[in-house]
Amino acid sequence: MTENNFKRILVPVDGSICSEKALKRACELVEVFDSKIIVIYVVEKSAPLNLLDRNEYLGMLRKFGKKTLDKTNTLLSKKGITAKLLLKEGNIVNEIEKVVKKEKCDLIVVGNKGLGSITRFLLGSVSNKISQSSSCSVLIVK
Amino acid sequence: MAIKTKRILVPLDGSKNSLRGLDMAIHLARQSQGTITALAVKTVPGIYAIHPLGFLDFNSMKEVKKLLADAKLRAAKKGIDLTGKAIAGDPGYDIARFANNSKNRIDLVVIGARGRSSAKEIFLGSVSNYVLHKSKKPVLVVK
Repeated sequence: MTENNFKRILVPVDGSICSEKALKRACELVEVFDSKIIVIYVVEKSAPLNLLDRNEYLGMLRKFGKKTLDKTNTLLSKKGITAKLLLKEGNIVNEIEKVVKKEKCDLIVVGNKGLGSITRFLLGSVSNKISQSSSCSVLIVK
Repeated sequence: MAIKTKRILVPLDGSKNSLRGLDMAIHLARQSQGTITALAVKTVPGIYAIHPLGFLDFNSMKEVKKLLADAKLRAAKKGIDLTGKAIAGDPGYDIARFANNSKNRIDLVVIGARGRSSAKEIFLGSVSNYVLHKSKKPVLVVK
């Protein structure tokens, strides 16, 4: 374990309240550890979609993703933090894993529930999968 | 300092990964000037946990105490105050209960995940998974 071990922090956002909380917590960490922050929004592509509505639906998701990223960017710049924003498409967990490997992140900060888990009252499915499969440390904000 | 994690709970079981968790907690505590509560849970089969004689197993409690003493030394070297606590019972359940107990005022749970080196240990340990799900406080899984 070296001294400053949170050089790069990855925050996956989905526009939910919990992801906002995670972002705030990540900001605190960034201020203290002077680390870089990477915000990612993944457009879920793997969900079974109607063939006809598919493009329209994906377009909506992309728009929403951009909006969310813009919102986080303004939130972060208020605190004087410059973030790297990423918009990816595909399976959420796979894309996050890929980014972790590519950017050599040291920590993932996720909220415990997202938008896709109304039925799951404990840990969201995505955060669960991330915590199980990721190769770096995971902070689950509750 | 901006971090509000004043009290960090570190469950210890003597494995390498839990020590890594402890190191991470020490690192965090240094930044936030917080204190660490180390929790060592001795596994006791359910039937003994309710039976008073279950606690009379002094010999193995010694092992747990030694673990806590080691942790204390490790933290003291870095100038962090560490309070040890030994409990007999079911690890996952007791760690989650300790974290959720508002009297303990835990801000963060730092737990070591199992390593990913061998194919057998690809997944999280069962205890960390349990704590992850059941704790109402933020959990940091150290890999």
